[in-house]
Amino acid sequence: MVPGCIHPGTISLNTIWYKSSCIMNQKRNKYRRVMQRTILLCLYIIMVFTSSTLYAAQSKYFEHRYEYKLEDVMKAEKFAQKERYWEAYAGVKIIGYVFLSKDWTERHVGYSGKHMETLIGIDTSGNITGVKLLFHSEPIVLIGLKEDNYQEYLKQYTGKNAIKGLTFGNEIKMDAITGATVTAAVQHAIITESAKKVAGIAGMTKHTQDKVRKISSKSDILNWKDLVDAGAVKNILITSEELALEGKEAYLDLYIGLVSPPSIGKNVLGERFYNEIMEALKPGETPVFIFSMGAGSFKGSGFARGGVFERFSIEQEARVFNFTDKDYRILTEVAAKGAPKPKEGGVFIIRGKEFEPSNPFKLKLMLPYRVGTEKKFKTSGVEYKLPDRFLE
Amino acid sequence: MSFDRRDFLKYIGMAGVAAGAGVVMLDKTINDKDKVLGTAVAQAETKGNGHQSAEVKPGELDAYYGFWSGGHSGEVRILGVPSMRELKRIPVFNMDVGSGWGITNESKALLKGRFCGDTHHVHGSYKDGVYDGKYLFVNDKLNNRVARIRVEYMEVDKILDVPNIQGMHGLFTQRYPKTEWLVCNSEFQIPVPNNPSDVPQDKYYGCHTIIDAEKMEIVCQVMVDENMDLAATDYGGKYSMTTSYNIEKGVTVSEMLASDFDYMLVFNWDRIRKALKEGKFKVIEGVKMIDGREGKSDIVVRIPVAKNPHGINISPDGKYAVCSGKVSPNCTVVAIDKLDEVYSGKIKPKDCIVAQPYIGLGPLHTTFDGRGNAITSVFIDSTNVKWNIQKAIDAEKKGAEEKKKNEHIVDVLDITYQVGHIMATMAETKEADGKWLVSLNKFAKDRFINVGPLKNECEQLVDISGDKLKIIHDSAQYIEPHDCIIVRRDIIEKHVKDRFNMFEHPLAVTRSGVERKGKKVTVKLTANAPVFGLQEVKVKKGDEVTVIVTNNDEISDLGHGFALSNYNINFVVAPFQTKSVTFTADKPGVYWAYCTNFCHALHLEMRMRIIVEKA
Repeated sequence: MVPGCIHPGTISLNTIWYKSSCIMNQKRNKYRRVMQRTILLCLYIIMVFTSSTLYAAQSKYFEHRYEYKLEDVMKAEKFAQKERYWEAYAGVKIIGYVFLSKDWTERHVGYSGKHMETLIGIDTSGNITGVKLLFHSEPIVLIGLKEDNYQEYLKQYTGKNAIKGLTFGNEIKMDAITGATVTAAVQHAIITESAKKVAGIAGMTKHTQDKVRKISSKSDILNWKDLVDAGAVKNILITSEELALEGKEAYLDLYIGLVSPPSIGKNVLGERFYNEIMEALKPGETPVFIFSMGAGSFKGSGFARGGVFERFSIEQEARVFNFTDKDYRILTEVAAKGAPKPKEGGVFIIRGKEFEPSNPFKLKLMLPYRVGTEKKFKTSGVEYKLPDRFLE
Repeated sequence: MSFDRRDFLKYIGMAGVAAGAGVVMLDKTINDKDKVLGTAVAQAETKGNGHQSAEVKPGELDAYYGFWSGGHSGEVRILGVPSMRELKRIPVFNMDVGSGWGITNESKALLKGRFCGDTHHVHGSYKDGVYDGKYLFVNDKLNNRVARIRVEYMEVDKILDVPNIQGMHGLFTQRYPKTEWLVCNSEFQIPVPNNPSDVPQDKYYGCHTIIDAEKMEIVCQVMVDENMDLAATDYGGKYSMTTSYNIEKGVTVSEMLASDFDYMLVFNWDRIRKALKEGKFKVIEGVKMIDGREGKSDIVVRIPVAKNPHGINISPDGKYAVCSGKVSPNCTVVAIDKLDEVYSGKIKPKDCIVAQPYIGLGPLHTTFDGRGNAITSVFIDSTNVKWNIQKAIDAEKKGAEEKKKNEHIVDVLDITYQVGHIMATMAETKEADGKWLVSLNKFAKDRFINVGPLKNECEQLVDISGDKLKIIHDSAQYIEPHDCIIVRRDIIEKHVKDRFNMFEHPLAVTRSGVERKGKKVTVKLTANAPVFGLQEVKVKKGDEVTVIVTNNDEISDLGHGFALSNYNINFVVAPFQTKSVTFTADKPGVYWAYCTNFCHALHLEMRMRIIVEKA
């Protein structure tokens, strides 16, 4: 059997190849018996793309678009459209909100470089009532996944609470699309950040507006121990033991800090690199440095091809910041006296003005590792608050 | 043997002291649980002092960019130092079927059909005595051209033909206040102009060429009787200098060796500007030609140096020019601050020579460690000789007896085998740091597994951070690097881009399509992994087809190739880069064009048909 005929896609593009590939396969009936399964699979892929190119414009090559109704993500008697969301009603009572991700988090783009448009519903307590994917062009089929796997992955969001926070790897498992880590990480950021933002607008969360403070321009000479003691750098330590791996050394020993305060940035990056980074910033942008020792890797190597760092993100209140290779400069040495030699590191630029460096933020980490040949994920995180001495 | 062991023990002793210092610090400032930090401190303290490691582990980056000339391969290469990994080949005066250099319309316009080149000297553009990370310049001794490489893209953007000269050997860039000019030489004297050919050899000349670095145009040439090989500029923006080994105007080896001395020539830039302003030049082959022959102008000073010199290098403090003797076993040290007195007639040219120390048999090129020492490559002896400049000057003052003691010589390192150029890290800048030296040796026998009669070259990495010179690593090179510069990573890295500025190319394609004008067909293609913007294009036999490809993928490192089967066409476009190629569709049939540069899981499927129909 041709796999494509068993699992027809949903709408649009998939329908087209479904028809054409079945017609073509009927003509090939007499050869079928001698064809190996692997050959069929290759044929299937080739037909998917040759037939799609016959019908679809080149730019639509990988695109998957689905129709939707608001009811797909929330049961309600009626919906009232507001500026960037719909209120859902039971009688006269608001029971929740439905919104489109691109109205809230369009800057999050996946492996394809495009936003994955998602319809999301939350009730008045912040529980997710439904999630529906409306558009994506992630090439997941290339790693042996099907559209169904993607939809399967999204189902786990329903019933989870967006305000309490959903940790990728804990509440949300990526088993269904293991391998498509960039797609999953970005999709997660899209859903959680959009939901938190809407919850904030709807008054479900109290927005505790921290006072915005200016970063001190003081430039003290501090060694590594001074920086650690002052809280200028924060650490995530994942031991081999807790991952049930052999060896006594740390699997990942990671440090993070803000670059901007001269007393931190100049000591960590060295004056020359610090100046280079700071001079290249646009207004409102904030650089952080992250480096690590140990066998584990926070950068991974997927960004080399996809451009997106999928193993970590920075979160501040509702906002999630992911990074691409355009936001990144490699960091190979730490200048501060007594500092460990990084195994890998980078300076990452938080783009846009939504990030406030004087307020607390979290580094969230989802670290893949292998026990034998089995791939597993370890989630971790650390909160960073710039200490007073680096503020005015 | 015992000498070596004693030194070894001495270094062990030093390492012990440094480690001890680290431990003391540990006690003072770091408590027990952080003891691991103490180790890092101790390592940092012992770094340098002749104990450097060249190991660059997976994921680690080199500390220096090395820019190598590729000799008669016609290329420039980028090596990581100290790992000596070859990171990139920049095609310059050659054809490179991998990247499409010499195949694309853009590169053809620069090369004008000449794919033989002999790159000798790569030098960077400067600001205030240090590289500014904007351009690299390289000369072609074979076809007498100068190419400019834009550091941001690491590709050639201009090639300039230089008339009236042959054997364009030395090239150097202005170091101060910034690179507005660069100079290049002519090693082979020829008639100027080179037509008719029946000119007697005493009417052959050499020309020192001055080029505007930004415009890549010739400012002028200064014609002299002498030949000129290596070139240098000072750190004050006042002079360019060269060595000359054929003041005899010989055309055979014995004629070129006739004289007991030769010259170091100095060109006074203020006086060149004045001559240009006053119109004291003739125009030959479209170039302003200033007569710099002895007695004809006050521009050139001739300093007599030992017979048949070769290299000329300026000490990083800007004080001395060192000419290496080649046929003479000495170097000649010239005090640059005395040149003004020579020009004003207060002293004779020979009076600015402050030392002529013995170095060894066949001194060729000199480089510097930034700590007052020079290191000279010695060809016949096959050594690198480290010597102290000030000690050589002092001994010269004290007289012949003192000179015989050779106390200026600090260390002699045997290399394997027969060195040409040598270069230390940052040595051609005022920030010479004395960390590493590369000895570009010409023979490689027994240093590598045998690869046949035509062998690779052998380059040896030397740790110069201590008193002694220490060989750390052998690396193999293909034909045939001549010279290099080694530049601190931070100076270059910040200027190097990950993608092109798409619209710098006037033909950049964002929408694919086909245009026909008579028999001329233009095929505009976007390349987005894993598709070209068109799946098929139909042309007629005999059409002149121009294919323009723009890589629309933004992700760094995602290059696409465009190769056309049986049409002898291939080139690569980096992210946001545009290249074009023109060919005559002379063979009817179906021809697959495909992506040659791996781009995607469906890279193999990234192909399209060009269908050549009967006319």
